[in-house]
Amino acid sequence: MSRARIGALAARIVRGFRRDPRTLALIVVVPLVVMALIGYLISDDREPLRVAVASGESNETCGAIVSDADAFRAAMAAQPGIEVVEVTTCDEGIAKIESGELEGVVEYPVIEPKNPIATTRVIVAGTDPRVEEPIVRAATIALAAARGSPLEPGEVANVAVDRVDVPGGERPSTISYSAPALITVFAFLFTFMLTSVAFLRERSSGTLERLLASPITRAEILSGYLLGFLGFASIQALLVLAYSTLVLHARIEGALWLVLLVIAVLVIGCVNLGITLSFFARNELQVIQFIPLVLLPQIFLGGLFWPTATLWPPLQWLSRLFPVTHAVSALREVMIAGGGLADVARDLAALAAFALAMVGLGVLVLRGQRA
Amino acid sequence: MVATDLAVRSSGLARSFGDVDALDGFDLDVRTGEILGLVGPNGAGKTTFIRVVAGLLAPDEGEIEVLGRKPGRVTAADIGYMTQAAALYEDLSLRENLGFFGRVYGLSRAQIVDRTAELVSLVHLEGEEDRPVRQLSGGQHQLANLTCAMVHGPTLLLLDEPTVGIDPVLRRSLWERFASLRDAGITILVTTHVMEEATRCDRVAFVNAGAVLTVGTPDEVSAPGDGSIEDAFLAFRDGREEPS
Repeated sequence: MSRARIGALAARIVRGFRRDPRTLALIVVVPLVVMALIGYLISDDREPLRVAVASGESNETCGAIVSDADAFRAAMAAQPGIEVVEVTTCDEGIAKIESGELEGVVEYPVIEPKNPIATTRVIVAGTDPRVEEPIVRAATIALAAARGSPLEPGEVANVAVDRVDVPGGERPSTISYSAPALITVFAFLFTFMLTSVAFLRERSSGTLERLLASPITRAEILSGYLLGFLGFASIQALLVLAYSTLVLHARIEGALWLVLLVIAVLVIGCVNLGITLSFFARNELQVIQFIPLVLLPQIFLGGLFWPTATLWPPLQWLSRLFPVTHAVSALREVMIAGGGLADVARDLAALAAFALAMVGLGVLVLRGQRA
Repeated sequence: MVATDLAVRSSGLARSFGDVDALDGFDLDVRTGEILGLVGPNGAGKTTFIRVVAGLLAPDEGEIEVLGRKPGRVTAADIGYMTQAAALYEDLSLRENLGFFGRVYGLSRAQIVDRTAELVSLVHLEGEEDRPVRQLSGGQHQLANLTCAMVHGPTLLLLDEPTVGIDPVLRRSLWERFASLRDAGITILVTTHVMEEATRCDRVAFVNAGAVLTVGTPDEVSAPGDGSIEDAFLAFRDGREEPS
């Protein structure tokens, strides 16, 4: 082993990085961005879940008896991540869950003097398992507080969970809930990564120059790339769908063609994003560096793990700009809730706007290659 | 193609990239059916001029006419462009590359089959046409590159340093191909910084610092010096001779 040779090799690598300020910047920027996102998301700083505590006497649907209402309400309000909203009846609360104004309703507990264990009921929408757990946890703790004594170790508070039939009825399995996110991330990652590397090669090998000197138009180049990758992305999506449904028993309540339409519109945007970003990379290494920067914020903020409604409002606004947010939302609507075209029209419109913007950018960068 | 005695007519071309003037008052006419060699050092403006002729770059100033028209998509079908890099899809075979570029130029399947057989035979790559291009040698790459530039039967061939990295035997063979293409009526504009190759052209243009120093037959441009094109070029470049 020659220390001089090893040292020379190491020095060459360091010198290479020093001459490549973008790589150096990304080495610093990417972990900071990702850590900031994770730090924010696993902290309790997110926007609280909006939960109504339904008052008793006028509450015919829930039929609860008000006991120590104020103590329960105060205990609920004191739970981190929970904001208590006033409604008069459970029905009003359910209507607000359906309209998306609330994440859940918690009944005032029934506390019977002879029964030391209080009972209550939590009502949440059927399609989002992520909001149920924190609301049930908050209700359990509040129940113990309203009873006047904390839960003993091993004691089970009686919290019944009702799931409102909005929009999907029966609670989906974790795989049903995850399948739309997996399909979206696979389609996005696969299309973006392969298009950008393929286009970078097209540019560096000189074949793009040869193509641009031919009668082919920019629109034809973009369309050809799109068609090629759309086929692969659709096959991939069908494979993930088939495996999720046949092997893992995920649900697909809605129409398959609608699932494919959402993926197709997403892929149009991703192909053009890949083409655009490939022009800012000199080699494959630089393309790979774009992946965490482009994909990770979308994974963290796109509603895959945490409902976007619980994000800090500026981040909610940012998440609405991400194609992944809209693709996941639309696919969940179709696959879990059985939504139709009208139900996903807004998400589809957002995806189409993203695709259009990316096509425009793709044409612009291609135009820069000629003339 | 529009009938004209000049395949390329250009005057006063200027094109800069940032602070660098790649073309600076570039005047050159290329006659139909000749091999015109652009000779000059690296960075002289040869490739920039070729790219302007191919319609890939618009000049900042000056006039350019290719095959009687402004270069661009309308002239693209009549031009074959052999880039400096191999510009081939390495995972595809030569036949598949020819098929792809043929379709880009609007050839029918039957035309592609005919052209493939014709071109493979022209460059003596019979038996190699179905191997992935990445398995071909450096010289075979250049030959394959040439066939892809010619698949659509262009009347004007732009060859940007076509013999770089090629051994002397293959180089000579390539130049013989160029001569036979010229004899078949194809105009060839070729760049080189190998002075020996310039003697094989019908006419030579000495290019330096974005401008044409002189144009003439190899004998004409080398006459003022002691007979060698290299000395003649250096003489022109150093300003010891006035450009004609």
